Amino acid sequence: MKATTLDRIAKAVQERPEQLMKAREKGAKVVGYFCSYMPEEIVHALGLIPVRLGRGGSDDLVELGGRYIGKGTCVFLRESVGLFAEGKEPFSKACDLVAVATSCVQMFRLAEVVKHFFNIPTLVLGVPRNFYLPEGRAFFQKEVENFAAQLEEFAGNKLDAAALAESVELYRNIRRTLQQIYDFQAADPAPISWREVFDVIHAGFYLDRAEYYRLLQDLLSELGTMSEALGTTDERPRILLSGTNIPPGDTKLINLIEEAGGRIVGDDLCSGLRFISGIDAKAATLAGLADAYIDKIPCATLPYLPSLDSDRRLENLAMIIDRYKPEGMIYHTLRFCDAFTFKAAETKRIMNNKISFMEIHTEYADSDIEAIRTRIDAFIEVLEGRRRAKISKAAVVG
Amino acid sequence: MLRSVKMVSKDGLIGFPPEIKEDFLATGGLDFKYSPSVSAEEIWEFLTVEAPRRFPQVFIDDPNVYIIRPSPYVEFLWTLKYRYCMLTAKDRTEKARANGVPVVFVQGGQTQEPYYAANAIATRPYVNIILRGGMADGMSYKQRTIQDKKLMEEGRKLVSPEACNGMIVAFYQIMSGIAPTDLVAPYLCLRCSDIAYTTESHRSTERNTPTFLVDFPVDYQPGQDWKVEYVAENLRGLVKSIVQVGGKQPSDEDMRQQIKQLNYARSVGRSCAETWMTAKYVPSYGFDYRFLVALANDLLGDPVSAIQILEQAKQEIEERAEKGIKGIEVAEDPVRLFVSGSCYTPNTYRIEANGGAVVAYDDQYNRLTIQADETGDPYLSLAKAMLSYPYELPTEERALWIAGAARKARCDGVIFASNWGCQYQSAVSRMVGEIVKREAHIPYLELEVDSLTQFEQLEQSENRTEAFIEMLSDLRQ
Repeated sequence: MKATTLDRIAKAVQERPEQLMKAREKGAKVVGYFCSYMPEEIVHALGLIPVRLGRGGSDDLVELGGRYIGKGTCVFLRESVGLFAEGKEPFSKACDLVAVATSCVQMFRLAEVVKHFFNIPTLVLGVPRNFYLPEGRAFFQKEVENFAAQLEEFAGNKLDAAALAESVELYRNIRRTLQQIYDFQAADPAPISWREVFDVIHAGFYLDRAEYYRLLQDLLSELGTMSEALGTTDERPRILLSGTNIPPGDTKLINLIEEAGGRIVGDDLCSGLRFISGIDAKAATLAGLADAYIDKIPCATLPYLPSLDSDRRLENLAMIIDRYKPEGMIYHTLRFCDAFTFKAAETKRIMNNKISFMEIHTEYADSDIEAIRTRIDAFIEVLEGRRRAKISKAAVVG
Repeated sequence: MLRSVKMVSKDGLIGFPPEIKEDFLATGGLDFKYSPSVSAEEIWEFLTVEAPRRFPQVFIDDPNVYIIRPSPYVEFLWTLKYRYCMLTAKDRTEKARANGVPVVFVQGGQTQEPYYAANAIATRPYVNIILRGGMADGMSYKQRTIQDKKLMEEGRKLVSPEACNGMIVAFYQIMSGIAPTDLVAPYLCLRCSDIAYTTESHRSTERNTPTFLVDFPVDYQPGQDWKVEYVAENLRGLVKSIVQVGGKQPSDEDMRQQIKQLNYARSVGRSCAETWMTAKYVPSYGFDYRFLVALANDLLGDPVSAIQILEQAKQEIEERAEKGIKGIEVAEDPVRLFVSGSCYTPNTYRIEANGGAVVAYDDQYNRLTIQADETGDPYLSLAKAMLSYPYELPTEERALWIAGAARKARCDGVIFASNWGCQYQSAVSRMVGEIVKREAHIPYLELEVDSLTQFEQLEQSENRTEAFIEMLSDLRQ
């Protein structure tokens, strides 16, 4: 049985482009942004409408985007440029400004290309590579201040402390509620699937944030009720999905995992759990937000030199494994996504002690779909076999 | 020297012609920061006796081999000293290291003041790969290419198949100890997208070489002082890292003196480059020009010898340009090319044979156009300079600079090449092309190349380059 609030959320997303159009007619401004290091609270507090941009899964748009941004870049980047080139996708089309946080430096290039070829104003928020050093923190605070000042100019009004405090509180509530919803999907049995939660997180990219929070509260309450009447346990092997961003529209790998009989129960994607966790503003100020975002669970796009033992990205993965009890980890990398690809072998070496690991390196084209299916089928079979062996061993010992 | 003297050829090897010996000896020897001085006689002896015996791969008589092989005719005597520094880079570096001078791996194309002020040697990928890791005694050219490919594959297995050739070979050479390195501490400019992640990869190697990154804030606009201060703080952190591996803590005055010295190297290098770019006739081979410009920036591990070579080169190039003497194998009125993009060096011998000449690059040369302030806080001066290099500017401004430089060098066309895996350059290839075509009104060729560390000819990109030259030649008529 599916939660009815999910249909209301899907409907709200469907109706959102028209709402945006009407809001813009009345003078509202839409700020499309890229990357989870963007402190969206500032955009919201200024009365601007934040929309997280980028889609995946369309080879045609990748090809179109590649006419403007070089083919040595990842397909997410190329498809994102393709959206502007095509001019049909309603959210990128609605943007009055595109803001880009540069945790991935390829994203800076996207900002340049979008501004140059499509004449769309852009703002760049620099994210330091040396994010773990005091000078990196100080730099990011200045970047956030500068970013806010430019946004104020764009919005035509000043950032109000009370409005910022309200936005910070609203976003805190949204994230907290989403995490509670997220925990439901990993239960056994579960009233909601990971994929449904993933879509709910993505709905938050587009919807009016206050309306979104109300919907999340309804969904949480509904899931609580549903949990009381759930039936049999779910026997499918539990999968953790990690690696490169999987944006809305990119269902290739998720479909293949589900078709092979796997069940995703956790992720550390910047478009998934990492987007809604680990951000804690101690003060509702620009400095407080800068600290909150620089201290969030680091993205692989930011190189971390000190040591593997203190890498919070890896610590977070271990925590997810502990919390959601996956049996296998699928590490997704897109071609030319160096941030995650360069760390694939290293992540495998570290995670192999904790969990069965498989890397899938792919693009949005369908040409490798059957090859990936074979690998995922085999991986799921291995996990099933290991589970059976564990049960038999326990029976013998018992 | 205004003559063109052909290299001698014997038993499949080429050698420096005896008839230039007297002229060469008159140019004097070389001094070094970290090694004893050498006389011109010692250099000659090394180049004509010891080097061919130890490094036959460099003297192979095969026109398909480029980058390491001396040009077919000697037209400048400084090129011998440059070759000497290339071929002794490994010995000099290892000896200095044994005497306590730390060796630090850096990015190609970056400036290097903090490393030398802290009494270290900066080695960029080219120096590490070709001159340190690849110069085993007695190794043939074939053995060398096989070794490079093997190292590339081993590195890619450990890190990623999508790492650019140069960066991954350098990574493997460091982690395996082939090129002993005390610290990996490059600047993160926009020249290279792989260097940050290959630096990070050292953390999971057995050797666990210490690392540090000098961050580069993108989208710098004048007046954004916090970006300058951030870079300056990173540079201070870099010096601290060098001191931790055995370097010496420089005073601010030491750093200012170092800036002064390298400003001078850049000004001489710039003068050489601009004489070459604007001379009526192209003075000589594109390769010698490419490496001279690079020398003014990367110093081949020693600023003292680099400056002496640059001074001699300036004099020789100016003399040749003033007298209107062209390179013997360059056409009288060649199709003039500007090469932009990644750290790409095309086979200019082939280009020259087809009626073209590369007369300008933005890689390396762009950094010679900026002088760091020699007064005040030296770290802030270096940071300001670093943020002002045309190559690192927002793409719109960089492309306008390329268009201006291409016009200055009277270029007929621009080639923008991005190496395999070089996202930063590939991403803006179209944008740069559009702006250059609009501003300089000249054709533009986009290439994706895969030639780093592979010295055999790469027919696909060379065919396209040759077709481009033909097209430009037709356009002129």
